[in-house]
Amino acid sequence: MTDHTEASPTPKTRTNRPGAFALLVNNRLAAGGLLVLGVLVITALAAPILPLADPNATAPADRLHLPFTPNHPFGTDMLGRDILSRLIWGTRVSLAVGVSATLIAAFFGSLIGLIAGFSSKRVDSVLMRGIDMVMAFPYILLALSIVAVLGPGLINALYAIAVVNIPFFARNIRGITLGLSRREFVDAARLSGKSRPHILLSEILPNVLPVIVITMSTTIGWMIIETAGLSFLGLGAQPPQADLGSMLGEGRKILFTYPHVSLVPGVMIFALVMSINLIGDGVRDILDPRLRSGALARPVARTAVARSRKPDTRPLMEATVLDVKNLRTEFRIGSTVLKAVGGVDLHLMPGECLGLVGESGSGKSVTAMSIMGLVPTPPGEIAGGSIFYRGEDLVAAKDSRIRVLRGGAVSHVFQDPLSTLHPLFTIADQLIETILAHQPMSRTEARDHALDLLKQVRISNPDERLNAYPHELSGGMRQRVCIAMALANDTEIIIADEPTTALDVTVQAQVLALMDNLRREKNAAILFITHDFGVVSAICDRVAVMYAGRIVETGRTEDILNSPAHPYTRKLIDCVPVLGEPERRLEAIEGLPPSVDDLPRGCAFAPRCPYADADCRHGDIALTATNGGRAVRCIHPLAQTTEETVVG
Amino acid sequence: MKSAVLSRALAAGIVALAVVMSAAITPARAQTPPNVLIVGQIAEPKSLDPAVDTAVNDFRILLNVYDGLVRYKDGTLEPEPGLATSWTISPDGKVYTFKLRESVKFQDGTPFNAEAVKFNFDRMLDKNGPYYDTGPFPLASFFSAVDKVKVIDDLTVEFDLKEPYAPFLSNLAYPTGLIVSPAAVKKYGKDFGRHPVGTGAYMFQEWVSNQKVVLTKNPDYWDGSPALEAVVFRPITDANTRVAAMLSGEIDVMVEVPPDSLSQFRDNPAFKVYEQAGPHVWFLILNMKEGPFADKKVRQAVNYAINKETLVNNVLQGTATVAAGPTPPAFGWAYDKKLKPYPYDPEKAKELLKEAGYDGQEITFYVTEGGSGMLEPVAMATAIQADLAAVGMKVKIETYEWNTFLSKVNAGLDSKADMAEMAWMTNDPDTLPYLTLRTDAWPKKGGFNSGYYSNPEVDKLLEEARTSTDQAKRAELYKQMQQIVHDDAPWAFIANWKQNAVTSANVEGFALQPSFFLMLQHVQKQ
Amino acid sequence: MAAYIFRRLLAAIPVLFGLTVIVFFIMKLIPGDPATAILGSYATPENVARINAELGLDKPMLQQYVIWLGNILHGDFGRSYSLNKPVLDEVLGRFSATLILAGTALVLCSILGLVVGIVSAVRQFGWADRILTFIVLIGISTPSFFLGLLLILFFAVKTRLFPASGMYAIYGGGGILDLIHHLTLPAITLAIVATGVIARLTRTSMLEVLRQDYIRTARAKGLSERKVVMKHAFKAALVSVVPVIGIQAGFVLGGAVYIETVFQWPGIGSMLVTAISTRDLLLVQGGVLVVAASYVIFNLIADAVQTMLDPRLRR
Repeated sequence: MTDHTEASPTPKTRTNRPGAFALLVNNRLAAGGLLVLGVLVITALAAPILPLADPNATAPADRLHLPFTPNHPFGTDMLGRDILSRLIWGTRVSLAVGVSATLIAAFFGSLIGLIAGFSSKRVDSVLMRGIDMVMAFPYILLALSIVAVLGPGLINALYAIAVVNIPFFARNIRGITLGLSRREFVDAARLSGKSRPHILLSEILPNVLPVIVITMSTTIGWMIIETAGLSFLGLGAQPPQADLGSMLGEGRKILFTYPHVSLVPGVMIFALVMSINLIGDGVRDILDPRLRSGALARPVARTAVARSRKPDTRPLMEATVLDVKNLRTEFRIGSTVLKAVGGVDLHLMPGECLGLVGESGSGKSVTAMSIMGLVPTPPGEIAGGSIFYRGEDLVAAKDSRIRVLRGGAVSHVFQDPLSTLHPLFTIADQLIETILAHQPMSRTEARDHALDLLKQVRISNPDERLNAYPHELSGGMRQRVCIAMALANDTEIIIADEPTTALDVTVQAQVLALMDNLRREKNAAILFITHDFGVVSAICDRVAVMYAGRIVETGRTEDILNSPAHPYTRKLIDCVPVLGEPERRLEAIEGLPPSVDDLPRGCAFAPRCPYADADCRHGDIALTATNGGRAVRCIHPLAQTTEETVVG
Repeated sequence: MKSAVLSRALAAGIVALAVVMSAAITPARAQTPPNVLIVGQIAEPKSLDPAVDTAVNDFRILLNVYDGLVRYKDGTLEPEPGLATSWTISPDGKVYTFKLRESVKFQDGTPFNAEAVKFNFDRMLDKNGPYYDTGPFPLASFFSAVDKVKVIDDLTVEFDLKEPYAPFLSNLAYPTGLIVSPAAVKKYGKDFGRHPVGTGAYMFQEWVSNQKVVLTKNPDYWDGSPALEAVVFRPITDANTRVAAMLSGEIDVMVEVPPDSLSQFRDNPAFKVYEQAGPHVWFLILNMKEGPFADKKVRQAVNYAINKETLVNNVLQGTATVAAGPTPPAFGWAYDKKLKPYPYDPEKAKELLKEAGYDGQEITFYVTEGGSGMLEPVAMATAIQADLAAVGMKVKIETYEWNTFLSKVNAGLDSKADMAEMAWMTNDPDTLPYLTLRTDAWPKKGGFNSGYYSNPEVDKLLEEARTSTDQAKRAELYKQMQQIVHDDAPWAFIANWKQNAVTSANVEGFALQPSFFLMLQHVQKQ
Repeated sequence: MAAYIFRRLLAAIPVLFGLTVIVFFIMKLIPGDPATAILGSYATPENVARINAELGLDKPMLQQYVIWLGNILHGDFGRSYSLNKPVLDEVLGRFSATLILAGTALVLCSILGLVVGIVSAVRQFGWADRILTFIVLIGISTPSFFLGLLLILFFAVKTRLFPASGMYAIYGGGGILDLIHHLTLPAITLAIVATGVIARLTRTSMLEVLRQDYIRTARAKGLSERKVVMKHAFKAALVSVVPVIGIQAGFVLGGAVYIETVFQWPGIGSMLVTAISTRDLLLVQGGVLVVAASYVIFNLIADAVQTMLDPRLRR
């Protein structure tokens, strides 16, 4: 079997990338495959007009000439027939059979798969039992028996190969159809009164088609091998017709004495299948949405650093535990560069909680993940700036140093505790592992410590919970476990990336309270990333508001809440529902944040800002410090008293 | 830190490979032990019960474990005394009386006597007998002429035939007539075939399925204890592999050497090559019932059109000779030496076709992929196809796996095919023509005359030869038959196979028999 | 777990049953009969009828099937016509040889496939990845019967490092080393394609897993990259690779037919090919049943391993 494609098709999205064929050609291996296959196919097609010897003309007196004899570049076989000529004519036959068998198998297999995946459970299970039977039957024997029943000949071998390969398509397509049939757009079609066959054809088939094509492209080589295999066993082409498998089979008898007779067709099968597989891989890379989006690129252990300029050497603020200077983090996807973080400065004092606030896409998470090098590379890289931990530039630190700090002095709490905890390890495993990575102690001691941590985060029955798997816990409990993990090794900084977003409101409050208590107990600083000013007010000492990769306003929490200076901050605050004020309309911010590869000149918020004027759309706007440790990036900051006028 | 992962992963792979590779260090060339002969056979035997076996492959073992009442004289197909020291035939040819050899014992210690002989034949022939269920006995028809077997005294046994049957003695020498130990049959029942006991030169020691059959010498053998301590038969189905095993010294003897490999053994002093023509004919059945071959001229044209010299010398690399008629030359006394093969004469063929008014109609040709005695059937068919194309006959080949092929051909060619390959190995000149050329042997009547040949004269000659007990008279009848059949050309006569074998140079006393059996009683290994 | 296995085995029964029906009717559809196969040249209609009667093949088809089924349920697989011995003896003997070959190949392809897949994923787009990907593709693109011939040609005929055929030395062998020596070439040949499939799948799964949140968590905890890859990522990737190894077991068992023919391995694949050609219905039934059952069991083991790895599947 060649491959198991489980691509989940997503409805097509726009792509600004070059066309499929250009991509295929750009892929060097696939292009090589295309070239080889092209030459082979053209040669095979041109067989009738090429100056070849008659492939079937026997000349027993001229038998078994070695390659490179005059008139016979590849020698002759045991009946004195020209091997080159038979090879080219045989390739023609093998290609035709392989392709036809693939088409037949793909058609019937996909049909069964579509029907099974989209029909009632009973039809599905009957069809799948049938498929199971065929799969449990050793495939060559099945093909052999089918040929034995139908009689020999290429066409019958073709049917046999097709039948044997139907299950492969059927299973693949069924799985995908099953997934699709539960999707919303299918439900919608169903509600709109379309008949089932109609839905199958108009809604599901178009989405399954790319998978069928991928599966075919990865199967066709295999089918050529299998057809050759049947011919090899003597069940394919009838004499005198040549096909690659029967040539190999005939040559096998004299393998030891005249290997060229079997090597030549064998190498041809290989070249044919290899080139098809190379193209198949290329086709898959193009059609598979995951591969196309680059989503299957694997992130390396630490974000790459490509600081073009010398790092900022401005004097550091005294006594900070963390000081980020002019951090710039970019994503390189193809030729586009997304400047996710465009020069961020922030600092954190020991024991302080700083809220980093912004909409999704504002760059707040990327900023936070840059600190410990957790932005995935590819495509992310730190393009400039410095990150100082107690005066030590982390951007320049060695991998080993970063590993000591990760989970030690600097720990993380992420957004969705279900996906951030490893589903296959128990809570105990994951906690103990964290402890042992940083503290030399025995496993028993580590386990006691883990138990202690669970108690600290107020988990009931900690003994039992230790042996639980993440999926066995509630969302709040899971996040408590994550917090416990963050506290495992005398942490100084907790980077909390939207830790409460995935939780429901009552649990949110509990978790916030817990974090607030613990940071005071342990004197740990928190960098708290959120989009929610309600959460900010509950825990943060200071706030930094981010927009389009830059800080637009910063200051003490109560100052900002009471009198936001930047119109964007104002809007964010207005998004928070206030208890007891049901009439207060939740105002969503109109428009979308700008794409970071195409920032407008001047203020990035200007297009959405009700106060923007022409000045706002000129050159760079600086972050201007005002009184009381506040700073704002706005040339028309809001007055202290504008609150009532805006809310309406 | 990446390289650590990598080296870990690589290390795992290397360990896995090392486990496998460690075995590579053990030496590949094992010399066979002295005084033990390792024989490379072509297949796993089906059974070692002579009453059950039908394949030459199995016969090669059987003849070393068992004896028959008579046996073929060394190098001929003529019966000579075996377990019977002498015999008499009644003038009407219906009563055969055998005197048995004294004090011969089966390898299990039980005595060989007239009762044992009667037991053997009753076992095969008496449908109500107590041991009939230890069969089936496919070749029991060899003895269907036997009416009764009578024990006259301990060492005298009498066969009463229903009618005179000339091939009877020859059939007794055939493996189906080999004598097994009644005590062992009673003991093992259906499993006797896996626990064979006979009177032969070697005793059965063990049979490891798909690996080997081991025989050890019978020190009490009545015809002199053999020199070898043991003989091991190894099934090696693939001819290439057999050649490789022979070259690497893993076996001492190999049979059925592929034609293209023979030369490398011939040129090498470490090996000896043996060849022996046997009673084998390779021919094409031509369908006389329907189609172009109903016309004798077209049939003769085919005989002229096929270049038989090229087939035997090039395709078969000299492992066969050109056949002249239906009877192979190995039956020296019955073969008509005046008979000449149809010469290769495409012009004459074209002429005959023209005379016959052949209109270029397509000929369907049944071909098998392989089967006993079929000698490279696909290559041969392809070459024949090309020869016929050269005289303007368009031939369409249909290949079938052996058993499908047999069932198709045996049912008669009728309207399905015009031509089919076939080969026979027989032990008596009667068998082949009697089963394949008589009118009464047409498929529906219980024979193998699949091409529906019918010539009353041939029918008469064959009936007469079968019932005559005078060999000279029989010979004359067979020779007449050959002349007629040669001219009628119901077949295209192609080849007579020369069996071959290779031994390593230190094997002595080895000889191939025309019967295709392997007699190892007098073989030595230095 | 026990209940789950029991349920799965129960579900396999109709599949196996259906399979016996298919085998039975396919075998009946193939022209020619066992009597002809036994009699060879001497298959006169009279002889054929006699043998068929003795083998019980003259009864109506349905009755033959019911008799066979009844016997099977009593553990009696019948007697092979062509081998003249109990089907079960032959099938078990042959199957153990196949199990040694296919089992070795399966272990080999699993280990190699996983190693190659991991290295390839960890070094994605690096030279190691490119080279390995290319080699894997070569493996997938080579017909196993051709590869077998090549290996025989170079390692058995030219250099004589390994024997060309068989399971044990022709004379005198028999030890475990002898077995491994004979096993090497066929096992490698058989493993190559499956290695490619597993390697490719492992690479994809690893890449997919490596971008999961819990891998970021593992890194954020300060674990070494070795632990991240070999413990956290590999275990998760294994969950999706293991069922495919189960399916590959089926293909390895199927592919064994070619390999056993090429290397003269006395396994069940070559037995079935012969059994089909001699129309030995009972032998084919027994063989197919054992192979299919082992396929079911391989898949069951794969699923059980998957369940052991992934607690979320334990319900």
